[in-house]
Amino acid sequence: MSIKTYAVAIRDVLAQEMRRDQNVFLMGEDIAEQGGIFGCTRDLLQEFGDKRVRNTPISENTFVGAGVGAASVGMRPVVELMYMDFLYLAMDQILNQAAKMRYMFGGKVKVPLVVRGQQGIGRGNAGQHSQSVESLLMHIPGLKVVCPSTPADAAGLLRTAIRDDNPVVFIEHKALYATKGEVPDDPEFSVPFGKSNVVREGKDVTIVGNYLYLGKALEAADLLEKEGISAEVIDPRTLVPLDTDTIVESVRKTGRLVTVHEAHRTMGFGTEIAAQVTEKAFKYLDAPPARVGAKMCTLPFNLGLENAVVPQVADIVEAAKSVLYRM
Amino acid sequence: MAERIIMPKQGLQMTEGTILEWLVPEGGAVTEGQPLFKMETDKLTITIDAPVSGTLLKIVKEEGETVPITETIAIVGAPGEDVSALLADAAPEAPDPGAPPPQPVPEKAQQVSATGAPGQRKFITPRARMRAEELRVGYESIAGSAPDGTIIERDILQAAAAAPRATPLAKKTADISGVPLEGVVGTGARGKVVRQDVLHAAARKPAPAAGERDLQPMRGMRKIIADRMKASLDVTAQASHRISVRMDKVREAREALDKSVGYNDLIAFATVRALMDYPQMNAELTDEGIWRKNFVNLGIAVALEDGLIVPVVHGAESMTLHMLSEQAAALARKAREGQLLPEEYAGGTFTLSNLGMFGLDEFEAIINPPEAGILAVGRIADMPVAVDGRVEIHPVMKLTLSYDHRLVDGAPAAQFLARVKEYLENPYKLL
Repeated sequence: MSIKTYAVAIRDVLAQEMRRDQNVFLMGEDIAEQGGIFGCTRDLLQEFGDKRVRNTPISENTFVGAGVGAASVGMRPVVELMYMDFLYLAMDQILNQAAKMRYMFGGKVKVPLVVRGQQGIGRGNAGQHSQSVESLLMHIPGLKVVCPSTPADAAGLLRTAIRDDNPVVFIEHKALYATKGEVPDDPEFSVPFGKSNVVREGKDVTIVGNYLYLGKALEAADLLEKEGISAEVIDPRTLVPLDTDTIVESVRKTGRLVTVHEAHRTMGFGTEIAAQVTEKAFKYLDAPPARVGAKMCTLPFNLGLENAVVPQVADIVEAAKSVLYRM
Repeated sequence: MAERIIMPKQGLQMTEGTILEWLVPEGGAVTEGQPLFKMETDKLTITIDAPVSGTLLKIVKEEGETVPITETIAIVGAPGEDVSALLADAAPEAPDPGAPPPQPVPEKAQQVSATGAPGQRKFITPRARMRAEELRVGYESIAGSAPDGTIIERDILQAAAAAPRATPLAKKTADISGVPLEGVVGTGARGKVVRQDVLHAAARKPAPAAGERDLQPMRGMRKIIADRMKASLDVTAQASHRISVRMDKVREAREALDKSVGYNDLIAFATVRALMDYPQMNAELTDEGIWRKNFVNLGIAVALEDGLIVPVVHGAESMTLHMLSEQAAALARKAREGQLLPEEYAGGTFTLSNLGMFGLDEFEAIINPPEAGILAVGRIADMPVAVDGRVEIHPVMKLTLSYDHRLVDGAPAAQFLARVKEYLENPYKLL
């Protein structure tokens, strides 16, 4: 075990996988000399050279497309988007090409592509650099959507992503890069897709959250405990595939579900989880599921206003109490 | 939307009913199909179930009030609903056609009814329902603690914890022996009450403290019987005749019929025939005069746990023995189950009362007005009988006829009773 930041955990796995497999290579803006604006590819140029650590122009549709092409002929590209917001420029390559090729070519082509990058709030980056894209991607068949909340998950899930034969959108969070945690040193350490993590056990209410909101859900659980409410906190880790079984099992126990995310509440992934839980555990519910998410507002530049749009710990506490009829 | 609860018509002849007891207090929750109030008609005490669910907003007729059928006795609706319009309608005066239209229901109440009316529906979360089924907790009477009175899991768990834990057999034993489970100390697993605990508690039911009397309420059927019997003795001129009947032939006849009919059926059949022969005994004193009836509606008294009732076999004069037997058995069964319709215990012309099964040799019965007589039947017992100067043992039954001397004199009453005896001692005459 080593204590690493989330960013270093990612860089180390990139390096380990590039050493292990000659076909793994990196593309993206400012990833070579600069090592990425968040340092996720720092010093990789020196070890692997400019053929495997390739800077690109500001041309997302093009270089993601190049990644799709390379993947379809046997390479295992890891393409970095400086901000996940720029994914929208490359949507045609991701949605129409990467996600569909294996199916539409009758399985004769595989697309082992990883598109990775960071999203979210925390730096006052304003409306075009702070968005959460995961729920949009969940709607597209053929894509896997990975959302690591801790350094260890970032490492373990990235290894699984690189070794996956299908396109994976690996979404990091900018406000988590500096967080530290224990990461196994084993170069084969991986976290499987589709396995939720019960981060805290409880018996009164199930709270599902990820990224910053895993931490906020745990904070809320501490506050709830002081009021005699025992909250179970679950991190889904991957949204596609989504491990609803673990969440359903938890709700069977607690009878109450709160979903929380930084993404907008409307059609956020919490909505999908709430719907699936309602379908699979209706008779176990003692209250309608509560969804906590950002207001339907463009994320403001001003950090104070940004906080006004996204949920706070108090909102999670309130939602948990509402499903317990403890208002 | 609030609804009126009216005095229901229970049976063809009912014109009014008396409210004995409201089983739900004003402001309490009413559930469709659950008991709402007890009432008495001219003969029966009936528990009436609520026709709708909601809150009992107003009790219009208090306990003890006698109310004509279809009159408003209470109003059920959503909490806080304005019931003044319905109360105005409930007033005994006929509504004035020129009166202004009733006040519109307040907007809130309308919304409530449009969205499914929380006051009329009991809400329970799926989890609470599941838990209630698991724990066998009835949730109909539980007040929900979530908004709109919704019952949640916690409410069920609390109700289950409050209820004494007992095995199903213990519960049944408690029901039968009348021991309240609340006071029973359980010795089963984790304090569960088992059958033995209930039996133990039943055995040491404490004696009432000095001065504590076991008082039964004088109401319902008890009160009706009391009033009628006293009225009978006040009004009628009761006299009685007794006669002994040898039952050898009836016994033989019954055996010849493979015991498919009872003694009582044969006695009833003989009585009906004798009544047709002596219509003076099958009469009623009306304002116009004495009405001698050419039909027999034979009442056959049935003892109940806490009273008695006389179901009536209508048109008995045109029945065969087997028809009469079947009718009497069916009515007696319904009477014991409390299922008699009002028509089935009204309109009698003469009554038969048999207490022979209690070992009585003979007894005297009180006439059931407006009938002219009642025949009291004792047991059939082997008795010494003088036959041709010798003592023989024969089965003998004693009949006691009470008759209303206002309508019928001693001689015809005696002839009637002798005719019953004649039929019973010579059953072939019934053919």
